[in-house]
Amino acid sequence: MTNDWVDLKNADVIFIIGANPASNHPASFSWINDTREHGAKLIVVDPAYTRSAATADVYAPIRPGTDIVFLGALINYAIQNKLYHEEYIKAYTNALTLISPDFKGPADLDGLFSGFDAEKKSYDTTTWKYQSEKVKDAAGNDISVPKQAVALDEPNTVFSILKKHYARYTPALVERICGTPQEKFLQVAKIFCATGAADKSGTILYAMGQTQHTVGTQNVRIMAMLQLLLGNIGIPGGGVNALRGESNVQGSTDFALLYQDLPGYLGAPTDRHPDFKTFAAKFDTTSYWINGPRFVVNLLKAWYGDAAKPENNYAYDYLPKTSGNYSWIPLFQAMGAGKIKGLFCMGMNPAVSGPNSRMERQSLANLDWLVVMDLFETETASFWRAPGTDPKNIQTEVFLLPALDAMEKVGSIVTSGRRIQWRPRVSAGPGEAQTDIWILDRLAQAIKKIYHGSPETRDLPIRDLTWFYGEGTDPDPEIVAREINGYALDDVKDASGAVILAKGALLPAFATIASAANYDAIACGNWLYAGYFAPADDGRGIWRPAARRRGQKDPGNLGLFPYWGFTWPANRHILYNRASARPDGSPWVENKKLIWWDAAQKKWTGYDVPDFVATKAPDAKAVIGGAGLAAQTGTDAFLMKADGKGWLFAPTGLSEGPLPEHYEPIESPVTNCLSGCNTNPVVKIWATNQDKPIGDKLGLCEQFPVICTTFRLGEHWQAGAMSRTLPWLAEIQPELFVMLGKDLAAARGITNGARAKIISARGEISAVAIVTARMKPLVIDGKQVHMVRIPWHWGWAGLATGDCVNDLTHHVGDANTMIPEYKAFLVDVRKT
Amino acid sequence: MSRYAMLIDETRCTGCRACQVACKQWNDLPGEQTRNRGTYTNPPALSAKTWSMIEFNEIETGDKVGFYFLKRGCMHCEHPACASVCLVGALHKTPDGPVVYDDSKCIGCRYCMSACPFGIPTFDWDRGLLNNALIRKCEFCVDRVSNGLIPACAKSCPSRVIAFGEREQLIAQAEARIEKNPNKYIKHIYGKDEVGGTSMLYLSSVPFDQLGLPALGTTPVTALSEQVMEYTVPFALAWGATLAGVAAVVRFRNRGKRIVENEKSET
Repeated sequence: MTNDWVDLKNADVIFIIGANPASNHPASFSWINDTREHGAKLIVVDPAYTRSAATADVYAPIRPGTDIVFLGALINYAIQNKLYHEEYIKAYTNALTLISPDFKGPADLDGLFSGFDAEKKSYDTTTWKYQSEKVKDAAGNDISVPKQAVALDEPNTVFSILKKHYARYTPALVERICGTPQEKFLQVAKIFCATGAADKSGTILYAMGQTQHTVGTQNVRIMAMLQLLLGNIGIPGGGVNALRGESNVQGSTDFALLYQDLPGYLGAPTDRHPDFKTFAAKFDTTSYWINGPRFVVNLLKAWYGDAAKPENNYAYDYLPKTSGNYSWIPLFQAMGAGKIKGLFCMGMNPAVSGPNSRMERQSLANLDWLVVMDLFETETASFWRAPGTDPKNIQTEVFLLPALDAMEKVGSIVTSGRRIQWRPRVSAGPGEAQTDIWILDRLAQAIKKIYHGSPETRDLPIRDLTWFYGEGTDPDPEIVAREINGYALDDVKDASGAVILAKGALLPAFATIASAANYDAIACGNWLYAGYFAPADDGRGIWRPAARRRGQKDPGNLGLFPYWGFTWPANRHILYNRASARPDGSPWVENKKLIWWDAAQKKWTGYDVPDFVATKAPDAKAVIGGAGLAAQTGTDAFLMKADGKGWLFAPTGLSEGPLPEHYEPIESPVTNCLSGCNTNPVVKIWATNQDKPIGDKLGLCEQFPVICTTFRLGEHWQAGAMSRTLPWLAEIQPELFVMLGKDLAAARGITNGARAKIISARGEISAVAIVTARMKPLVIDGKQVHMVRIPWHWGWAGLATGDCVNDLTHHVGDANTMIPEYKAFLVDVRKT
Repeated sequence: MSRYAMLIDETRCTGCRACQVACKQWNDLPGEQTRNRGTYTNPPALSAKTWSMIEFNEIETGDKVGFYFLKRGCMHCEHPACASVCLVGALHKTPDGPVVYDDSKCIGCRYCMSACPFGIPTFDWDRGLLNNALIRKCEFCVDRVSNGLIPACAKSCPSRVIAFGEREQLIAQAEARIEKNPNKYIKHIYGKDEVGGTSMLYLSSVPFDQLGLPALGTTPVTALSEQVMEYTVPFALAWGATLAGVAAVVRFRNRGKRIVENEKSET
């Protein structure tokens, strides 16, 4: 989240698309309800009339996988009706930046951007770049800076490209592609785009309904663009807010759960970064990322201690360099191909949750060994006796290590709003169950013992790994916390030689790293978390580790609660909050003032921690050729971007283009009405075992005419191990079900409460039919299309059992992240 | 008038069922074996094991569909019919508000079940009629309330649907909410006057009968049951005499059998 849960109470409009927080994040509705009592409006756009939709002021139906059309049309509506926040976009976004005149978009190239290589299925991004101009720095050297226009409508400005691109996204197109009636779309557009006014704020809430698509990344991008256009980023009650699907998934992402990162979003070294120099060079030098190489050094100091020295580039060579895609789908493909021999599954249940899970279970059977650390014997731990499986044919050795639940151990948890809260242990665990860090500690020590004294250079990363998390048998989570927070290995001094952090002291903030002369005297496991465990005031004069604080003061009454826990980065609650004030530093509106420039004190003041240099005047000029934030002006609100601007147009970083464009899901009942480019042109299609009963097969609309979208319930948790084993939850949602509309049910002879079969090109499952008026067919390009909706929490283990819904889904993922397309695929539904 | 009440603002409810689970947790009630019957509502109805639950109602009006969530449970009437028909005084209304039940007094007659205008008290069928069977229903977390805690359902509600407090204050609060958002709410506080008033007060944006709450007058049901109860003593005496007669006949007929059984066991 750019903002926070409690901040929802500051919104004038709440726009939910691709999420169902009423069911899955019910606490959010305490704040949503509060602001609605003061007149705020709630919009829900969803394929089904969900629990969230039931409480909304406006509900608009949408076909799964067409969000870009809907959101693109909102951008178009805001531009056509001049509802965008002009002063905001001129000051804080790249709207005025000029793009290469060679750039061509889908309007010119029938769905593609310039630079497409059809053979490689990828783009050369040269024509997407900013135009640059040369200016002289103080020493008289030529420095290239992005060229800016004066007026928004000049040719080649980001704004004029945006305007042209989305001019094609009309309300009529929304009706044709999304199936949303035009008047419903216009109702949404009118309410939401009104938040472009300087004194209004609108928030967008989303979840997996936006991300689990082959265009998932672009779905998220377009929400951010709409919010930038309406001036809704950086302000109370605004933002793009991901409602995370697990209580600590934010924390795991921050700690590089995904293969392409190091902790703190530093990126993982690839074969393009053979040495530290090339890796360090990937960080921008005109943004806060200029400190990136320092953060990497601090991380390496935390991992390798004294073995990380300037002479060996701080043991950078110890880090593995990735040479391919190591995300979920390729990993399971590799297991299937016999390339991966062993698997550790910690709190993961791929036998239920993986796409094409039947095929993934088959991949598990290819392993020599499988270790499952979980609270219960999950479907993954018992995959060898899945229904229809003969255990005799499976040679995989399976180990089940009982783990403790979050309530049974001490540690921190990070909310979607990036708030870190330290929690005590409140209950003893059963039997021999142990904490995750106990298991990992034992494992690491055993591995280190094996490699102790090894003469091989290749074993140095294991031998040199620092590993001390307490005396005795139980590792101490507080020692882990200290390492993450960061501490001084020696006295840390600034450029003048003054000691800014004494040896042994905890790092109070990452600013200390930025201002240190000998920054390699700091070990820090995650720069974003710097200060989270350092002593801090809880607002009552009581000092305790920041994440442990429970102070309830709320200066400004905006719901920031800065003394409760610690919000990364730097206890900053609303990201990019420079934009909460006008370019001159005064608040946009009195009742939403967050931070503002105090001319007398010559610094920014207010309720939140400024997301930029606190003493930088609003009219500060950029230092030409300056390093880091010096290269940015007093109105550059996006300090992590090389140009300091919010990107309405992304010149780099995305595989399928600088602007989100609609492509159909890989399996779709219609062809793309917008262009001749039917599906995302850069998506990788796997084609394993297509001739076998279980394989990567794609279904055609003739055989599978119904759109299926998977979803989650509030009553169950993910792959179900934690909830289907609890009698109180098993009784309220006892069986797998499929929701289908009355017309489809009548056509297939399916009655409410009876069982139905759902079939895709990958597999077949059985579920109880809930025949409901909350699912309605849509008319897409003149053709009636039916949808069904299935919650995917079930498996054969536990009290409430049912088929694995992901037996239906396919091994196709987003072109940037490889997140599987769970939300839009084709099935047929039949009576059993 | 009882002191405490709960104001349940159904316009804030998202049907998450935290209250339903919290009730089971606090009262240590087991999960029921259920199946999906084509609805989210589960268990199907209140029972000895389920004292509070959310009912999901889907109502179609023309093109439009409504999806409503009702928190169903004991209303804790100001003039509880269940208590007034109870022969042995097992049920009674406390001055704080809860209508409570005394296991040790109950004889299992189930008059309370027939008398309740909301159909709330349930019978513990698993135990059977003659095996010290009990009546079960929400007791307004009397154990929590009398110790200064709020009821488990109100405590657990994440979207702050359920407010616990002094009844008079909650009525004032409900009136203020209606006044502030007159277009949102039905201009009625359900439970303020129904059957003489209840400790559960409801606000809604749809007519209460659509939500699943019955349209009832303001006269306490007890006014009627008190009239009926005049006949209780003569009825009970007559019924008692009949039962005694039946028992005597059965005993007489079984006498021979018992002698035979005794003889068998001796051999």
